Amino acid sequence: MENEIPLPLPPRRRKSHRPSRFDDRSSQPSSDPALFSSDDIPASGLENYHAPAHGNTGRKRRYRGTWWGETVLDPKRKRKDFKDKRFVDSGVWMGSDESFAESLLPSEDAPISEEFFKNVRNSNPRVPKKEQDEDAVPFAFAAPGPESALGMDRGPISKPQPQVVTQPRVAFRRVFESQEHQLARAIVNDCLEKGQDSVDLSIGNMREIPSNLLGPLQHLTKLPAVREPPVTEDVYSSLEPFLRLFLAGNSLFKLSSELFDLTSLKVLSLRNNKLTEVPPAIRRLTSLQDVNLSVNRLEYLPWEFLWLIRKGDLKHLIVRPNPLMQIDEAEIAHWHYPNTTTPVSLDKPLRLQEYESPVPEEAWAPIHIATGPIRRFNTDGYPIPEAQSNTTSNEFNSNVPSLREVSLVSLNKSNFFDLTPDSDIADLPELMLRLLRYGREVRAAGGRCCSICHRNFVLPRTEWIEWWDCSTYENGLKGPRASGEKLRPLPFKRLGCSWECVPEMKSVEVTYIPESTLE
Amino acid sequence: MSEATQQEYVTLVSGDGFEFVVPRSTACVSGTIRRMLDPSSNFSEAITGRCVLETLSGVVLEKVCEYFCYNQKNKEQANVPDMEIPPELCLELLMAADYLDT
Repeated sequence: MENEIPLPLPPRRRKSHRPSRFDDRSSQPSSDPALFSSDDIPASGLENYHAPAHGNTGRKRRYRGTWWGETVLDPKRKRKDFKDKRFVDSGVWMGSDESFAESLLPSEDAPISEEFFKNVRNSNPRVPKKEQDEDAVPFAFAAPGPESALGMDRGPISKPQPQVVTQPRVAFRRVFESQEHQLARAIVNDCLEKGQDSVDLSIGNMREIPSNLLGPLQHLTKLPAVREPPVTEDVYSSLEPFLRLFLAGNSLFKLSSELFDLTSLKVLSLRNNKLTEVPPAIRRLTSLQDVNLSVNRLEYLPWEFLWLIRKGDLKHLIVRPNPLMQIDEAEIAHWHYPNTTTPVSLDKPLRLQEYESPVPEEAWAPIHIATGPIRRFNTDGYPIPEAQSNTTSNEFNSNVPSLREVSLVSLNKSNFFDLTPDSDIADLPELMLRLLRYGREVRAAGGRCCSICHRNFVLPRTEWIEWWDCSTYENGLKGPRASGEKLRPLPFKRLGCSWECVPEMKSVEVTYIPESTLE
Repeated sequence: MSEATQQEYVTLVSGDGFEFVVPRSTACVSGTIRRMLDPSSNFSEAITGRCVLETLSGVVLEKVCEYFCYNQKNKEQANVPDMEIPPELCLELLMAADYLDT
């Protein structure tokens, strides 16, 4: 008994007029004394805990009402008078909570569930892809009949409020994602989970890349190889992923901007798709080493591949077969190679100049063969006829973007296109609508950056084709071009953001002539 | 009329009555205003040097004038800085750009 810790003295507030806990000699803990509902104080608030209790000392406090603080004014009030108060969200979900349960579970009221499914069906065709979460695996919603077991158990249910019915639509939207996309998501999730850096989505029959499919791959981390001891040297391998993405054998028509956010992507295969264009945003994939674009519908390549070859890591570029433009059929404004300004007679095939060992650098590097004519566009984005562009070109040549361009770039920078559905902009004037749709397309393809002045832009003002021979890169840098080898230039389309952003013919010549005359 | 062409400044008036006085060369960045102020056109704008742009509000016209100055200032430069536009004005400015042909 002596070892027992003495209990603190009970508060003696009724004996003394002054509350003892304000005394200096008090050894009481600083925390408030316990409060019980049976304490005879007028209200159970802590503020008036020490208020002197008059008159009814010793009487138990009688409390009538609900546990969340409703006091009964009129003792004759019935329990059902509290009923409307129960819709206040207590934060506790109980099985008997009707308002939520009936929106999920089918009720016996056939018209309600029919209406609900109609709503779901109606909402389906215009389901925006953005609504889907990356990790949420679509769950199948089997439409249960009105007499489903759950519905029977629940008994009669009061009429639901209309907004309760519309609410769960959001949750069911992703149900209707196509099977191909579900499969692709499963593969990506699997790769993420296992830390596999080779993502094989080939032969997936996808017509487009669903949103939020590729984004998570940016954060893929390899898992360390767990092996039994003895631990050898090769266990210590880099955990940095060598990200490879295979989208071969799908039916992709265009590439989404999400693909170009995978800046650590090393290998990209888009073989056997239906691409007509590779967006210039490919430039953002700076660590790309190996690209396969064969068996598509490409007539030209983006100039940004040349940038990736020179400034990036690109070593292997497979582009044939594709319905690429041919240099002998194309209009050429300027020849850069071989060192002439007069058109090369096309009877004689283009050949690399003869060289003797050592192998010149030229035999490895891409060679600029020719440049096509420059097409100019007005501020509306319409091409300007050749004759007219020559007369007006001097007057308006300036690097300043047009006001349309400035507004479009700002729109693309903001989240306007994410927030505004197509129906909201449909009643704008036709010309504006065209610009807005164009801007949205550019945004969806990952944006554009002027190849001359590096400004972000939407409407190109100039456009031309450059012909480059990249045969060493098509071979994966296995060897230099042989002496006198036939050249097979590829068309690269280049865009400029203003009429000043045009190729500088002279400087290009100056850099290339000395190289060829050295040999 | 010869007097009007010599005026160095022109006045742009917005639909809600705001007036902006800008150099003539600056205002002529816009194709529409240039045509309005063309002395050979004999438009009243060309004579008085005052263009009333009913469809533009004062806020938008202010930004348009800012753009005119931005365009004029950077005309000769190779590296043009970006012009910031608040997102809520983008659509109206796009509409104005359509109207002003700039």
